[in-house]
Amino acid sequence: MAEQQETINGAIITYFSTASAVGKTLVSINSAAELAREGYRVCLVDFDLQFGDVCNYLQLLPESTVADVQQGIATSGADCHVEDYLTPYVHEAATFYVMASPLKLEEAYNIKTAPMKAMLTQLQTLFDYVVVDTTSMFSELNLAVLDLSTVVIFLGIRDFFPTIKNMSIGNETLKNLHYDQNKLRIVLNRGDSQSDIPMGLMVKTLGGEFYHILPNDFRVANESIKSGVPLVLSHEETKLGQSLRELVYRSTNQDYAPEDESVAEHEMHGGFLSRLFGGRE
Amino acid sequence: MAYRVMLIENDRLLLEQLAQAVQSAEGFQLVARYQSASDALGQGKLFKPNIILLNIDNQDGATLMEQFTRVYPEAAIICMSEHSQAEGVSSMVQAGAKGFIIKPFSAEELKESVETFAKSGMEVSSHVMTFFSPKGKSGKTTLIANLALALGRRTQEQVGIIDADLQFGDMMAFFNLKPKATIVEAVHEIRYMSPVTLNSYFEKVTDHVHVLCGTSAPNLIDRVSIDGFENVVRMARNLFRYILIDVPPGFTPTSISAAELSDVTYVVTMLNGGYELQHTKRALEIFKDWQDYDKRVKPVFTRVTPCDIASQRRLEQALGEPVEAVIPNAYQIVSEAANNGSMAVDIEPDSELSQSVNRLAEKVIGHHHIRWDKP
Ligand SMILES: Nc1ncnc2c1ncn2[C@@H]1O[C@H](COP(=O)(O)OP(=O)(O)OP(=O)(O)O)[C@@H](O)[C@H]1O
Ligand SMILES: Nc1ncnc2c1ncn2[C@@H]1O[C@H](COP(=O)(O)OP(=O)(O)O)[C@@H](O)[C@H]1O
Ligand SMILES: [Mg+2]
Ligand SMILES: [Mg+2]
Repeated sequence: MAEQQETINGAIITYFSTASAVGKTLVSINSAAELAREGYRVCLVDFDLQFGDVCNYLQLLPESTVADVQQGIATSGADCHVEDYLTPYVHEAATFYVMASPLKLEEAYNIKTAPMKAMLTQLQTLFDYVVVDTTSMFSELNLAVLDLSTVVIFLGIRDFFPTIKNMSIGNETLKNLHYDQNKLRIVLNRGDSQSDIPMGLMVKTLGGEFYHILPNDFRVANESIKSGVPLVLSHEETKLGQSLRELVYRSTNQDYAPEDESVAEHEMHGGFLSRLFGGRE
Repeated sequence: MAYRVMLIENDRLLLEQLAQAVQSAEGFQLVARYQSASDALGQGKLFKPNIILLNIDNQDGATLMEQFTRVYPEAAIICMSEHSQAEGVSSMVQAGAKGFIIKPFSAEELKESVETFAKSGMEVSSHVMTFFSPKGKSGKTTLIANLALALGRRTQEQVGIIDADLQFGDMMAFFNLKPKATIVEAVHEIRYMSPVTLNSYFEKVTDHVHVLCGTSAPNLIDRVSIDGFENVVRMARNLFRYILIDVPPGFTPTSISAAELSDVTYVVTMLNGGYELQHTKRALEIFKDWQDYDKRVKPVFTRVTPCDIASQRRLEQALGEPVEAVIPNAYQIVSEAANNGSMAVDIEPDSELSQSVNRLAEKVIGHHHIRWDKP
């Protein structure tokens, strides 16, 4: 192999919605964890600046945050090394890095878009995947992140009508941004939850077939949040965990095959799964 | 009952023009007209006016108001100006004016104004409440809708909802409204408005509850200036006894300015088994900069099960301060009502939800009286 190195820019996968509490944080954490488990270099960025949950759901106590990055870029410009501000998450063989949201609300309120863009671009040179968790609105920061993203996963949920309306408006607005068609992927979370809204209307509202549908399992979701261990890293096999993995395989263009084959495939990839399925090491 | 109008306008031609408008307004009688306030103060009594249309342009408005309210305690004084100045108006209202009208006006506009002011009175004692939540999906829009209905029902006074959740306002959908105008137009045009014209931007939900609807598309947010928004709230104080403001989640220029303009800010949180309590604590910390924090900021929790005193005490303990209200889990009835756009009629009055909202309404009414009757 030639030694001369091209910089390689990793992919940015952003989870976005125009309704709150749709599972952006849960799904982005599990994406990061799954990609890490597969052996990729992964960074998870918490852009829910004011009330971010990534460190809550992962039980991390970050020492540095995006606020420090902003400060660093302000004082040292391009010499600011964003990797100095990361917090590692380690669970068994999986490791990924978290760029935490600010500790203080005042800091969060004063985050500017330009240094955050610079930060993301730098992270792309360091990681295979940069996964971004967002807030559910069209802020200047979110729009900049959507622009920079390789893939945007728009999460929908079957909630009451006003929420459906907001997701529809959000989708229309996204269309007007004229991204490549395959950049935007619509995923329905809690697809089998109780709701008076018919599935047909959901599909119509969100403009097209769903790229993926995640099942509803509140117990499993909340236990994972409380335990600080992403579902895809948990030893308990759950439909939701399985479906999250499936989403990740698909959105990163790996052929997803049902259990047995995927085990084989992933043993080749790094062998992490064997631990999960027990006794295959 | 006919309105007996006394008109005071210094400009001769304008006086003529306004007099004609009054005379041609149905149900109005022009009993006296003066170019000078001194004449009106000394002579008008002979004609027993019950409405006084008083020019305040280029005048010492405060002194005029003081004199006219003393001499004509029974009459409703409506100030006239060529400009709408939300702040000037509110000081006139503080001084006892019942209303405000931009001149010149037509017979129709006069009638509409007087009817509006007769219904609401220009309230000095309007009580403004902002509903803040750290994150979305807190149940605050649901709470606002139901609390507004409860306040209207219990007090029979005018209640206004301002939907300032600028990107994703839901009030329109909750009440199935098809507004002719929204907060975007209201904020845009506020400089040229009087309270009466602002009133026409509110959509009627019931006889007592009216809504200024939110934007129809998220990109319109750029057209809503904070200054304009603040003036809308100030002017709305002249129209409603109670004003409830829905704001976007988190600390945004809109939510901050709404909270600063409000008598009380409710910090609303839905319990979902995550880290909601921590978020609420952090949000409350920010408000603690206010000296009168205890009076002005009140936490409310929704989706509380069981929804009882014990739960409330537990939350108070966790928070380290009093909790103003706990609202039960009412997902089913709330969703159904909102899906049908029938929030106004569909929530049963003896449901657990209605009961807890009514308790909060009683507290609002109570606070309000204490605040204004014993200054
Ligand atoms: N598939 C699922 N089944 C059941 N519960 C779920 C599912 N996905 C998420 N949840 C639950 O929904 C709640 C909201 O999830 P999460 O915090 O990830 O959403 P969010 O979109 O990040 O919310 P916010 O807009 O507040 O940041 C959490 O309690 C989570 O456990
Ligand atoms: N007291 C409650 N109990 C259970 N669910 C509720 C309650 N109030 C609202 N909801 C539901 O929560 C969701 C968000 O409610 P909404 O009032 O729109 O909150 P917000 O305005 O904070 O986003 C809706 O699905 C609604 O039906
Ligand atoms: Mg989140
Ligand atoms: Mg709302």
